[in-house]
Amino acid sequence: MTWMLRLYPARWRQRYGEEFGTVLAGRRASPGLVLDVLAGAIDAHLHPQIQLSESQPTKGDTMTLAMLLRCAAGGPKLSPQDKKIARWVTIWSALAIAALEIGLAKAFRGAPAVMALVYWSAPALSLIYEQTAYLRQRSWRTQAFVLGGGLSAMYAFMLAVCMVKL
Amino acid sequence: MMRKTKDDAELDDFGRFSEPALLILVSLADGPKHGYSMTEDIATLAGVRLGPGTLYGALARLEARGLIEPLKSEDRRNPYRLTDLGERALRARLDSMMAVARTGQRRLAHA
Repeated sequence: MTWMLRLYPARWRQRYGEEFGTVLAGRRASPGLVLDVLAGAIDAHLHPQIQLSESQPTKGDTMTLAMLLRCAAGGPKLSPQDKKIARWVTIWSALAIAALEIGLAKAFRGAPAVMALVYWSAPALSLIYEQTAYLRQRSWRTQAFVLGGGLSAMYAFMLAVCMVKL
Repeated sequence: MMRKTKDDAELDDFGRFSEPALLILVSLADGPKHGYSMTEDIATLAGVRLGPGTLYGALARLEARGLIEPLKSEDRRNPYRLTDLGERALRARLDSMMAVARTGQRRLAHA
């Protein structure tokens, strides 16, 4: 079950990863637990400011933060409705991906294609949120091309990594 | 309508984490605890076993608001304790909950 930690953002794992892993390891695996961890991972991706605010920024962080703020200021304005739709698309995608992973893991345990799907799911959810939020005003062709292409390329990369590793 | 104090408002905007956050503050009221002990304590006191995703979602929010703080530990399990602000927020929230409970019971007695 501790592999699910990989679904959380790197900064979150750095801060809470070890203790979260300890608590997770003490629990018996169940669909409810999987959903709870998945929902927590989505929340951590959607609210990164919660982890950003708890530590004093270092010199390197300050530069990164300044660049992030500059990018955010120049980025497209999102309406609450856009954010809401993107949030729900991401949540349902996460549930669908989790169901697929559980099903495939039972049928083809340890297969590189299944492992690649596990590694792929976290960045995929992040991409799904970004694209459904920022590309909503674009044509469906553009959305399908960017999202489909991005997801496929990421999966191909993860599959290559898993096949090399195994 | 009950009036909220400034301290009570510290626990606002927690969304689905409101109840877990309150339970965590109650659990920490008798001393520092790490994640696993909090889960066990909350299961005993409220009959709810918080999942790790919910527990750490609420802990991150409480820490970001300055209501709790981590203690240094050589162990992998970081204990947390209430800050002064967290203690005041918990007192204010419990007071307002007790006021609601008293009103409800008084009205039921007259029903």
